[in-house]
Amino acid sequence: MKTKNLIKRTAAALLAAAVLLLAPVEAVQAEELPYDTYNYNYREDIVITPAAYVPNGSVTGLSVGTTDFKEPQDFCVAPDGLIYVADTGNNRIVVLNHEMTEVVREIAAFDRNGTEDTFNAPYGVCVSENMELYVADSNNRRIVVLTPEGEFIKIVDNPQSEILDDNFDFIPLKVTVDYADRIYAIVKNAFEGILVFESSGDFTGYFGTIEVKITLWEKFWRRLASKEERSKSQLYIPTEFTGIDVDDGGFIYASNIDSEGVQAVRRLNPQGKDVIQKGENGNVGGDIRIGVYGDYSGPSQITDVVYRDKGIYSLLDRRRGRIFTYDKEGNLLYIFGGVGTQEGTFNVPVAIEAIDGEIIVLDAYYGAILRFSETRYGALINEAVGLRFDGDETEAIDKWQEVLRLDANNELANTGIGKAYLTAGDNRLAMEYLELGMNRKYYSIAWKRYRNELLAKNMNIIMSVVVVLIILLVVYKKWRKKKKNGKEGKEVKEVKEGGLI
Amino acid sequence: MKQLFSKEKWKYAFYTVSHPVDGYYEIRHRERGSVPIAILLVVLFSISFSINRISASFIVNDVDPLNVNLLTELIAVLLLYLLFCVGNWSITCLMNGEGRLKDIAIALGYAMIPMIVCMNIGTIFSHAVAEGEGAFYVMIIGIGIAYGVFMMLVGVMEVHNYTLGKTLITIFLTFIAIFIIIFIVLLVMDLINQVYGFFYSIYQELIFRA
Repeated sequence: MKTKNLIKRTAAALLAAAVLLLAPVEAVQAEELPYDTYNYNYREDIVITPAAYVPNGSVTGLSVGTTDFKEPQDFCVAPDGLIYVADTGNNRIVVLNHEMTEVVREIAAFDRNGTEDTFNAPYGVCVSENMELYVADSNNRRIVVLTPEGEFIKIVDNPQSEILDDNFDFIPLKVTVDYADRIYAIVKNAFEGILVFESSGDFTGYFGTIEVKITLWEKFWRRLASKEERSKSQLYIPTEFTGIDVDDGGFIYASNIDSEGVQAVRRLNPQGKDVIQKGENGNVGGDIRIGVYGDYSGPSQITDVVYRDKGIYSLLDRRRGRIFTYDKEGNLLYIFGGVGTQEGTFNVPVAIEAIDGEIIVLDAYYGAILRFSETRYGALINEAVGLRFDGDETEAIDKWQEVLRLDANNELANTGIGKAYLTAGDNRLAMEYLELGMNRKYYSIAWKRYRNELLAKNMNIIMSVVVVLIILLVVYKKWRKKKKNGKEGKEVKEVKEGGLI
Repeated sequence: MKQLFSKEKWKYAFYTVSHPVDGYYEIRHRERGSVPIAILLVVLFSISFSINRISASFIVNDVDPLNVNLLTELIAVLLLYLLFCVGNWSITCLMNGEGRLKDIAIALGYAMIPMIVCMNIGTIFSHAVAEGEGAFYVMIIGIGIAYGVFMMLVGVMEVHNYTLGKTLITIFLTFIAIFIIIFIVLLVMDLINQVYGFFYSIYQELIFRA
């Protein structure tokens, strides 16, 4: 059913595209975009939306005045606005200025207590709030901590603990640091979760383990299988984390590849418990409608996550090159991006960051940073969600109204306006907008209040009508009884006449 | 026609709802039912069903109104009605049923009345419920359907003068009969298609040769 619908939608989208192509110049921007911009509505159908972000050029090694990047795997934006790129294939860290026009410095080697040391495939990079540079030096099996200028501070390696295997291979891939300088590292083949280190470099334990889900059906087959068969069958191991980021409150956002496409990101509290909100659709896994066959089928493969601002975070999908943005409640705000060879499309997107209202994505194949700047549509949504996050719902109304002007069917905008009217006490208007926003929960609240209002206002009339009706009913019954008594003889006769035919 | 749609007949349809056993007995033995009314009721049921799907409040309604097509649903319901009547008739003919095709059609048609009423009441009522109160709506619709099914059962039982057990067995067999009918219809259609294709290719051959 879903595939069928998908085919239908695609056909509709193609038709729309054809119409757009035929239409005169006004729709130029939408036409020029190398990717689809859409969202999912309440019924999980695809709805084409205006673009929230449009391509804004790309940055390569050559364009900033150095040699080309070779399979860069990660980058990060430092608190002072500089951009640190882990140029994995060239074994160096390249620091770009805020505008991404030139190289500030390159860190290829550092002075470690008198001896010169180098990186070997630096895979992940992160700058802490205290301006310390953390590099996941994967093939050297260590995390190197430097000053932003490249002075050596310390090295974190060889974690010691009872819970680690004897032949545990410490290959850090991604690293991030919270406000207390705790180090969170995603390590290759560490399925138990994220490795956490104290600021001193001592290993404290695993964090945010993904639980394995075994369906009843799989359990049934395992029950039937013999021991030999079971040993040969696939192991049920959790998926690895792919990307990691930390928000202002010290909550860790960690993405993983979910084979069911339901939850591809976790928001982990300091205890390592997942506290993410999944929104109306109960889904924070990227695409909801997915094809069944072909290269671009299957659930989204989320490779990285970036926490942006005011509870908004974005996920990067490797499979179809899409960027999904959610708010704190887990509502999908907008989707854009795609795989391709045109400017503004990806081949192997690996990392995503946000900088001054721009979203930047690192592509390992092109060795380039692709920039996307927000449109008015995207900016309005970001602002409105931000205002709601701050509790300024009434102020958000104006923003949402403008969003509606650009995208009349935006459920989020309708719901946002409805909620604001609800808080303001205008239940009638709230109901109208909440129904357009297909929000059952808040519509019910508004309707209940409005119902009570109506009842309270019209109690006199309702009660009078009820009393009058009761009196009328009694009178009618008496009258009918009288009539029946008078007519009884006649009716009996009629029935007899109408007898067997 | 006038006689078939007379006030008397309409009144009797509602009498059947309140007194199913007596009502259906007299439909069989005293010609008090009307086939046109029964068919009209089925059409009305189909329309109420579609309207319910389209315009019941979104609090209780998961259906996308854009996916509802009144005409296709009407055709489907009428086709099902026809299939059930014919299926039941063919089975009961073999099982000493006393009912004629006409009686079966009336029995089923009149059983639509509670469903029509409850569907429409439910549709209106759905706009008065909030989330969590949907149970009342489900109850209204449920009562309508339950009573409708009960009436169908009694209808088939009375019209054919069966016991309850035999009625249930015949209804089960009716479904099998429906499947057989569908199977044969599809088979015949496929065969006709092939025959048509055969003659069409001969025709084409002749045209091209000539």
